[in-house]
Amino acid sequence: MKPLLASLILALLTVSCPGADDALRQITLGVVAKSQGNPVFQAARVGAEDAARDLGAKYHVSIRIDWRTPNEEDAQKQSEALEQLVLSGADGIAVSCSDANTLTAAINSAVDNGVPVATFDSDAPASKRFVTYGIDDYRCGEQVMEELARQLDGKGIIAVLAGNQNAPNLQRRMQGVVETARKYPGITVRGVYYHRETPQDAAARVEQVMEANPDINGWAMIGGWALFTENALQWRPGTVKCASVDALPAQLAYVRNGQVPVLLGQQCYQWGYQCVSLLVDKILLKKDPSAVRQVSALIPVTIDNVDAYAKNWDTWLHK
Amino acid sequence: MSLRLRSLPRFQERGIIVVILVLGLLLTVFGGKVRLPLFERGPDGGRHRVFEAGPGGGRVPAFVVENKFLNAHNLAQLAKDTSFIAIMAVGASIVIISGGIDLSAGSLYALASVVGALVLRRYGPGGPGGATPAWEGVLLGACACMAVAGACGALNGALVVALRVHPFVITLGTMAILRGVAFVITAGQSVDGFPRALSALVRYQFGDGLTLFPLAVMVLVTAAGWIFLARLSPGRRVYAVGGNEQAARFSGIRIGRTKLLVYSLAGLSGGVAAFLSIGYYGAATSGDGQGYELSVIAAAVVGGASLTGGRGSALGAVLGALVIQMISSGIVILGIDQNYSQIIIGSVVIAAVVFDQCNAWLAKKRSIP
Repeated sequence: MKPLLASLILALLTVSCPGADDALRQITLGVVAKSQGNPVFQAARVGAEDAARDLGAKYHVSIRIDWRTPNEEDAQKQSEALEQLVLSGADGIAVSCSDANTLTAAINSAVDNGVPVATFDSDAPASKRFVTYGIDDYRCGEQVMEELARQLDGKGIIAVLAGNQNAPNLQRRMQGVVETARKYPGITVRGVYYHRETPQDAAARVEQVMEANPDINGWAMIGGWALFTENALQWRPGTVKCASVDALPAQLAYVRNGQVPVLLGQQCYQWGYQCVSLLVDKILLKKDPSAVRQVSALIPVTIDNVDAYAKNWDTWLHK
Repeated sequence: MSLRLRSLPRFQERGIIVVILVLGLLLTVFGGKVRLPLFERGPDGGRHRVFEAGPGGGRVPAFVVENKFLNAHNLAQLAKDTSFIAIMAVGASIVIISGGIDLSAGSLYALASVVGALVLRRYGPGGPGGATPAWEGVLLGACACMAVAGACGALNGALVVALRVHPFVITLGTMAILRGVAFVITAGQSVDGFPRALSALVRYQFGDGLTLFPLAVMVLVTAAGWIFLARLSPGRRVYAVGGNEQAARFSGIRIGRTKLLVYSLAGLSGGVAAFLSIGYYGAATSGDGQGYELSVIAAAVVGGASLTGGRGSALGAVLGALVIQMISSGIVILGIDQNYSQIIIGSVVIAAVVFDQCNAWLAKKRSIP
């Protein structure tokens, strides 16, 4: 009994004694992504936490990531999360905006209260955010269409899988696809199909569209939602062409089996990593980024590099 | 009978108030402290950061240390976050008391928001009516929100009465229709560019930068709901219809008219919340209010409304919304990993309802001689 009591007292003393860690400056960074259910944002979360660990060690500070993401896309909920983070003492915030207009006031209010805000993936250009990190969405749409047109040799009937119709970044990607498709006289866009951004809803939408339009022979997927499920595509490899954004682990199987010859991987791990780095630079080093708009490139993933690319995910989703 | 109906909700509210106080106490004790930036009013009436002398002789921003939960800014924020759902929950509780259900609340909120936003944009700085006095544009926007929401509510009521189909089915259908209409009229685009007077009104800052307008509207709607349900005969008829529709019919109550009124009022409450939200957030999209139908029903039920009808109150619905929002805000204040938030919210809601039921049961037992 006595040794147990002594151990307990020792443990309590160890916990309560101020150690070296207590002397570290604590920085809390709020991260608000669009939705919990979307795996790309889980990679962003890991990136943010890894950056917090790496930069904390580098600058001898304790960096805590306060992840506050709505379960489903809801700009008003994101706005609430921003306001709550400011009130709970966050030193900086990174946000991917479900609706730029709705979030602008909350971002401005945070900045006015001395909390710097960075946006990633989906920007709020009219706000006071000091930096935005992500792809050029219009160019992304162009790239998807160019890849698909190359697979189709410039001829075919295609459909666009477009996710949430309210997301401004997806609207720009969709615009990129549709306008680029016009450059190919042999290609007809049968329709742009929206859906809730869950893998099941996206896969169901692909199935419905293919049932109703069996003549479709190409899919431009401006997000990879449908391919996050195992059996989303019911066609034999090569019969229907497909180019998709994102290259998450679940999607890579479609490259390997030939159903999707090319994926355009967003650097979603870097969304979190880079935003935290930019925020730490701003807060600790008082350093602004070289440009407000930090563009990250899309990485093409094909059968040639799929295995090498897959190894990245061991790092990016190691938790 | 009427005495029992009147007294029962009061006991339930007492239970939920105890839950709120306990939650508040826990968050105050365990929430810790926060450093908030210090502001002062300048000669121009605007809020400006306060600076103090830094260690190197330079000026550094001044901060004040406050309790994370129990500070005026956080409480005002909590009230604001509660208000949109709470206002709709008042309408939802009236529907639930009548024995009905309204699953279209979130979609109705979205449609009223985008219609109101489209009208307001016409009178905004870049709109064709930009030269019109700002109050006129704001008033027209408010009328558009209310008219659309009231009409959609009335449509729900009319379909429930005319088709004699369970409101679950009718409002499930209108939930999809209204969301679809909202999308079609906006083409999925966010609508902004309202008269500045609107956000100046809704975001007006009292004292030390506290935004209390949403709280004031919530209090007014709660008072209106309480007067309707507890003091006016149409409100008493709602309890009668929900308690026993057959008996109410034999008592001469016009069931159809009561239901039409109930759904119209629920619609109007959605219109008030929608107008408030577009004023606060400064934009509206057809994706707004997703899942709000479940939040408002949960708030009403946590606040003591019985899904079998005949029981509930406006104040209970607002307090129910407050409990849910306190848990949600508490997760941020306590720094709990968000992965566990759904589990915590669900568990605390069930615990709150069980506590509330026990309280009501004990009170009932004590009142029996």
